[in-house]
Amino acid sequence: MEFTAVVIIFVNILLAVNLAVGTTPIMVWWERRVSGFMQGRSGPNRAHIGGIRLGGLVQSVADMLKLAFKEDFIPSFIKYKFFFIVAPVIMFICSFLTVGVIPFADRLVIDGVSYTMQALPIDLGILWFLAFAGLSVYGIVLGGYSSTSKFGMLSSIRAIAQVISYEASMGLAIISMLIVYGSVNLSDIAAYQGDLLFGFIPAWGVIMQPLAALIFIVAAFAETNRAPFDLAEGESEIVAGYHTEYSAMRFGLFQVSEFAAMSAASALIVTMFFGGYQVPWLNTQALQEHMNIVLIATMITLPLIIYSFTKWIKKNNTWVDASDPRAKESAILIKVFWGIAIAVVSILALILLFGLGTNGTNIATAMIQVSTFLMKFFLMNFFFVWIRWTLLRFRYDQLQLLGWKVLLPLALLNIVITATYVLVLGD
Amino acid sequence: MGIKVVKRHGDTLRDKLYIPAIVSGMKTTMRHFITNIRDTSQLVTKSYPEVQPTDITDRYRGVHRLTKREDESVKCVACYMCATACPADCIFIEATERTDGLDEKMPAIFNIDLLECVFCGYCVEACPCDAIRMDTGIFSYVADQREDFILSKEKLLSHTRSKEFNND
Repeated sequence: MEFTAVVIIFVNILLAVNLAVGTTPIMVWWERRVSGFMQGRSGPNRAHIGGIRLGGLVQSVADMLKLAFKEDFIPSFIKYKFFFIVAPVIMFICSFLTVGVIPFADRLVIDGVSYTMQALPIDLGILWFLAFAGLSVYGIVLGGYSSTSKFGMLSSIRAIAQVISYEASMGLAIISMLIVYGSVNLSDIAAYQGDLLFGFIPAWGVIMQPLAALIFIVAAFAETNRAPFDLAEGESEIVAGYHTEYSAMRFGLFQVSEFAAMSAASALIVTMFFGGYQVPWLNTQALQEHMNIVLIATMITLPLIIYSFTKWIKKNNTWVDASDPRAKESAILIKVFWGIAIAVVSILALILLFGLGTNGTNIATAMIQVSTFLMKFFLMNFFFVWIRWTLLRFRYDQLQLLGWKVLLPLALLNIVITATYVLVLGD
Repeated sequence: MGIKVVKRHGDTLRDKLYIPAIVSGMKTTMRHFITNIRDTSQLVTKSYPEVQPTDITDRYRGVHRLTKREDESVKCVACYMCATACPADCIFIEATERTDGLDEKMPAIFNIDLLECVFCGYCVEACPCDAIRMDTGIFSYVADQREDFILSKEKLLSHTRSKEFNND
């Protein structure tokens, strides 16, 4: 295998692993701080390494270390230790593998050879997601069942009741999307969304199929066990549900896989409904043609963003006691951010001076598309967090009613309408 | 006849759609998020312990103190009224004779075990000569060892009235 291919595969795998696992500390941090701000609290902001707090991100590292070094304890009343041990692993692997089929950028052409920008070079796409998303529930069920505790048991029952109520409508919502796109491959789906509808609206899935988008997003919330459908956890009723008897890193695995599932779901939602890696109104060809303009625009906007951000840091990232190392954090952060901005701008200026070759333009396009995807991905994750701290948990009969009596008929209706439209008008 | 018909909510199409309610809820949380992230100084949470609470009232029952006479000697006459009234049995007094002519008795030892104390304030109520008070405003007492939580007479005498309390 050539060197370029190895580098590209490595970058893709690194991206996928980071999206699945690396985002967990960030998501835990967001979850706690966003909820804090929404409720008028401040959230964790005290943990620091040599005065650097990064707005509380260091707290996630501390929590992770704590979980990793805790005693790995299995209660004596657990009969089937194998299932108890294997449950979090199943859930983790399933949510971890899902991200593998997400395309991070359009096909990258280097020296005439085209490379797919996804971690697993398979064409299964959505089917892969459906398979592993469905399988990850087995982790919950097995974990709750094998903990031999009433809470775990109830949680497993709830998880099963939840699965049968959302999976059907989720699959049907996807079918109506497949009719539109005509492919299960997510790379094709994302490429399709680079076009324009009526010449001026980006042909994103959410614009072509708003109903399917709504149904899929609701089902994705249920699938990832997030509020308002986190019945299997139900802290207020059944302690912690399926992970009541787990501790240390086994519990950590459950936690990580919950966030990995959330990341996978938001990556899929972004790819299917929000244009994936596509920059609105700028598809791959347009990006490559107008690369210099895009680079100049980045050079102008980046310092402006950094300026307002450092102003925000100066105002809000303060510490009362001036002798504490944390009081000096803001000055250091501002220097670091300006350093990054100057470095990026000078690199872009050099690129503009010497010009990009064909390969360079293609790589720059891929980088812009990856960062667009990441931006959309994090916005979607923020949406997950936002919903969690707004809505109350559904009762599980309410979820079943919603799944069977509302979402399923709507999804069927949507399929009929879409299929009729495609048949009558042709494509 | 006096039957009041209460209008049930959730019957209108708007309520049944459920989405308008979700959207308005999300607007509320977003509004809070944006106002708080723009200006974190407006947060209700204080950065304790650097920022101490300012809203402790005059009647707050904090850690005890022993009051003094004009000549800075202890006011307590070791009558055991507080120790008798104490429901937690956390006050330990040993009386001794007072030789300076101001009174007949005074405490040689006056210990309060803060780990036993329930901060009910009965000792303050029981005291016939206003010798023990709980108006120091100390709401948090930290130590490394159990023994350090037993406050001696000297320690109790060293506590002063909280500065914020200025009405006598």
